[in-house]
Amino acid sequence: MGHGVKKLYRELGELARFVENAMRTISQAGRPIITSTSDLPAATSHLADLNKMTEEGTLEVMRLTELMQDNHARMGKECAAIEEVLKAMDCVTLAKRVERLAADLSQDDRCLTEIMTALSFQDLVAQRVKKLVAILDDVQDKLMKLVVVFGTQSEGSEDGKGEPGKSGDLLKQLEESKTTAMKQNVADEILAQYGFK
Amino acid sequence: MPADPNMKILVVDDMATMRRIVKNILKQLGFANIQEAENGQEGLQKLQQDTYGLVVSDWNMPVMTGIDMLRAIRADEKLKAIPVLMVTAEAQQANLVEAVQAGVSNYIVKPFTAETMQEKLAKIFK
Repeated sequence: MGHGVKKLYRELGELARFVENAMRTISQAGRPIITSTSDLPAATSHLADLNKMTEEGTLEVMRLTELMQDNHARMGKECAAIEEVLKAMDCVTLAKRVERLAADLSQDDRCLTEIMTALSFQDLVAQRVKKLVAILDDVQDKLMKLVVVFGTQSEGSEDGKGEPGKSGDLLKQLEESKTTAMKQNVADEILAQYGFK
Repeated sequence: MPADPNMKILVVDDMATMRRIVKNILKQLGFANIQEAENGQEGLQKLQQDTYGLVVSDWNMPVMTGIDMLRAIRADEKLKAIPVLMVTAEAQQANLVEAVQAGVSNYIVKPFTAETMQEKLAKIFK
């Protein structure tokens, strides 16, 4: 009986050491987890920016394409009217040339429609980005739960962020590009100061 | 029965770019009377307020999805005869089957061309 109790205490001791080691390992792993978790909202925000930028660019291309389509429609009508007058005046050669012009316009119109439909890439990109954002939110939620459950604490810095890893560096670059990206007019002003005109 | 170029068409999509593309193609195909809605719920409200000859709808939308709107259209005595064309990136076989079971009139997978839209409209209004 005494031997059995001894064995039980020994096994319980081993189990306690194992649990302690496991907790320490998880706690150490928690630091990079906290760092990565704190980076996730910023990464999500950049993805949303990406959506906005592609949408703005796409809408501008659409606006210009539609302007060209409207112009083509007007030119097509003009061509048809001129062709009719030329035919009435028996100017067959000129009428044929106007007809070819109208055919070229019509061909260009088909290309413009293809440009419009090709722009649907923006919708597909936006849908995938939305799914990525949802995944990131979910991962962040799970990581935070892990951190709370195991009580992992950030050490080494006051703001809760450890040493920046690769993801941290990339995010920093993205943040900088947002705040330091310069508009052409600002660049021109600076260039002008250096004698560029 | 060929499509009436004067019929009112409702384009339902949460993405402004996609609504513009569909509208542009429909315009090129000779349809000028086009209205827009940003989700299924808004689409349903517009359908109940006016008479439409065709609905072109996306699948994935906030508030109410395209498939839910389709089911609501087919369950409504006044609206159930309106042709519904789905234009969506949901290209899984299961999605297509679900849409067919819900009563879709035809199905276009994004990205698509003007020719595809023309062909599907011709099939709906043959």
